[in-house]
Amino acid sequence: MTRVTRRKILKGAAAAAAGVALPVRAYAAGEAVKVGILTPLTGAGGADGPRMLKAMQAVFDEVNKAGGVDGRMFQTVVEDDQTNPEAAVRAARKLIEVDKVPIIMGTWASSVTTAVLPVCWESKTFMMTVSGADSISLLPHQGYLVRTQPTSKLQSIAHASYIASTGKMKIGVIGIQAPFAQSTKEHLDATIKAAGGSVVSHVIYEKDKSTYRSEIDQVMKANPDNLYLNGYAPDTVVVLRDLYKAGIELPKFCQSYAVPQSTLDANPPEVSEGVVTGSPSADVDSTAYKLAADRLGMREIDAYVAQATDWASLAVLTFAKSKEATGSAFKDNVRKVSQGDGVKVYSAIEGLKAISEGKEINYEGASGPCDFNEIGDIAKCRFRFTQVRNGKLEFLKIV
Amino acid sequence: MEHYLIAMGVTAGIYAIMALGMNVIWGMAGLINLGLVGFFAVGAYTSALLTVKLGWPLAAGIVSGTALAALVGIGVSLITVRMRGDYLAIVTLGFAETLRVVMSNELWIANGTDGLSGIPGPLRGTLDPHAFNLLFLGIVWTVVAVLFVFLQRLSFSPFGRVLRGIRDDEGVVEVAGKNVVLFKAKAFAVGSGALGLAGALYGHFTSYIAPDLFAPLLTLYIKLSLLTGGLGNNVGAIVGAVLIVFFLEATRFIVPLVPAVSSVQAASLREILIAATLLLILRWRAKGLIPERIANISLPPPTAEARTQPI
Repeated sequence: MTRVTRRKILKGAAAAAAGVALPVRAYAAGEAVKVGILTPLTGAGGADGPRMLKAMQAVFDEVNKAGGVDGRMFQTVVEDDQTNPEAAVRAARKLIEVDKVPIIMGTWASSVTTAVLPVCWESKTFMMTVSGADSISLLPHQGYLVRTQPTSKLQSIAHASYIASTGKMKIGVIGIQAPFAQSTKEHLDATIKAAGGSVVSHVIYEKDKSTYRSEIDQVMKANPDNLYLNGYAPDTVVVLRDLYKAGIELPKFCQSYAVPQSTLDANPPEVSEGVVTGSPSADVDSTAYKLAADRLGMREIDAYVAQATDWASLAVLTFAKSKEATGSAFKDNVRKVSQGDGVKVYSAIEGLKAISEGKEINYEGASGPCDFNEIGDIAKCRFRFTQVRNGKLEFLKIV
Repeated sequence: MEHYLIAMGVTAGIYAIMALGMNVIWGMAGLINLGLVGFFAVGAYTSALLTVKLGWPLAAGIVSGTALAALVGIGVSLITVRMRGDYLAIVTLGFAETLRVVMSNELWIANGTDGLSGIPGPLRGTLDPHAFNLLFLGIVWTVVAVLFVFLQRLSFSPFGRVLRGIRDDEGVVEVAGKNVVLFKAKAFAVGSGALGLAGALYGHFTSYIAPDLFAPLLTLYIKLSLLTGGLGNNVGAIVGAVLIVFFLEATRFIVPLVPAVSSVQAASLREILIAATLLLILRWRAKGLIPERIANISLPPPTAEARTQPI
């Protein structure tokens, strides 16, 4: 039987006090602008969240290093959304009501975003997300949302046009059960039909399976001449491996977020050889993509990393424009820096310089022009295509 | 800060309702049910669909959700009547996962993985968000109180004794002339009803439900609540649920204080802490913080005669 002695209590209290006293943070001149980062660090999104987090922090670090905005630094408060709506809502409440963040960025799963969004708009907190479900921007969010992920319609049309340009007309679609699954298939079909082809088979699979062999057999029954793999990174690793094992050598197309370097490293190089990926992109002459890649020390970045870069940059520039760290200020001013006739800027630093010179700016991001319509969706964008060669992504073209 | 505490109070109350329901099935009747979140989903979806799509009043939706969850509970208990222990655990886990997969894929029922949003809440819109949370806090904890009194009465009634009998030795209860299957079905009905009620309340509180919500994570949190508080004990169920929510939230504030840990590592550290807590409790406090007290049991000391006789 352990006895609780006075000595033990004293020891415990001393340890607890030491723990609380340790992280005394020093603040630079002016109160720091708090930014809530709510992203999946564990759970199904755990493969993507850490990458996005790194990209966001890299931008804030760069801005802080350059002196912040009028001496005010950006301080990130990170919470794990656990890819679970229940846990995410608890985390969001903590960010909003304890840390008092005016802005939350980084949610990934559509269910998490849909659960967190009402909490945000009720407490006038601005939100930026990568979630693609069409239903999200239709919620009554009163403008407290922008998302950098183009709708599945915009994406599928671009992807189908690319596939049509390769002369392959019989698409076999195999993808994960997610909010975008159905609409992606429909828009792929509509676009490829206009070019004289069609989606010949469509199979939806569940996440977290160790093999997708039966789904692959099912999709192959209709004899497609190319495959559209509409999954996330963890399952795409398995699908690519199973396709290779089955000896299927059809052209394969994926979302770029499904093929980050980790997907390529998970299999021998020949398994992923030739896979084409597509991601939203800015103009051909935009340097934002290159700047973002250089900041992270990478050659090619995927769509999620690019979008995370853009959230952080937009938050910095919007704050610089309004000088006010409230959710309503972010809501009212984000479009003043993201679009319009101002001078085009490709990074937060460049934008800050232009703002300090009194210029109007238009941020052109790594993930696209970042022009938002009235419900917070991407209005239009170009697409960037890359192809896997020898285990590395090589740039193909921007359309 | 107080708004945050109020919202967490609501979460703790909903966890407490679930822990109380789970306690009837697992704590009292000894039936290991890992499908908890499935019954939670039945209640949440029923009430949400009835109020959103058919415009039923909230109370009717919540009562229907509770009732349907209880009915599904009876169904599951009858299907699994021949199973005990691990096998029952696997089948109930399968039930919850099947339900989640069906709700993800059958888009016509409740929008599949998009989920159902805009679920009405009592006076939502009329009250400001903080007053709404406060009102809901009152509602949830009133439900906890009523449910607690009801289950406490049930626990010390002949019905409760039979359930504990089934838990400790099913054969003996059968020999005593009790219909074990019927009692198990009743235990499942009461327990799942409470789980469904928690689900219905949760949907009306957050205004949104989706299949992702009904992942096994929540089942584990409730199981942990019950183990922490004390299995078989209604007070323990409530105390455990409050402690777990407190613990889950407290780790948010404590883990960032650990030096030289990145955010990604901190997230994993939180999960490790939760797992470690479960292990520590199972090792040092297997009966929970408030162990079940079995009243009115006084075994007579063995007589000298009994000791000498071979058993």
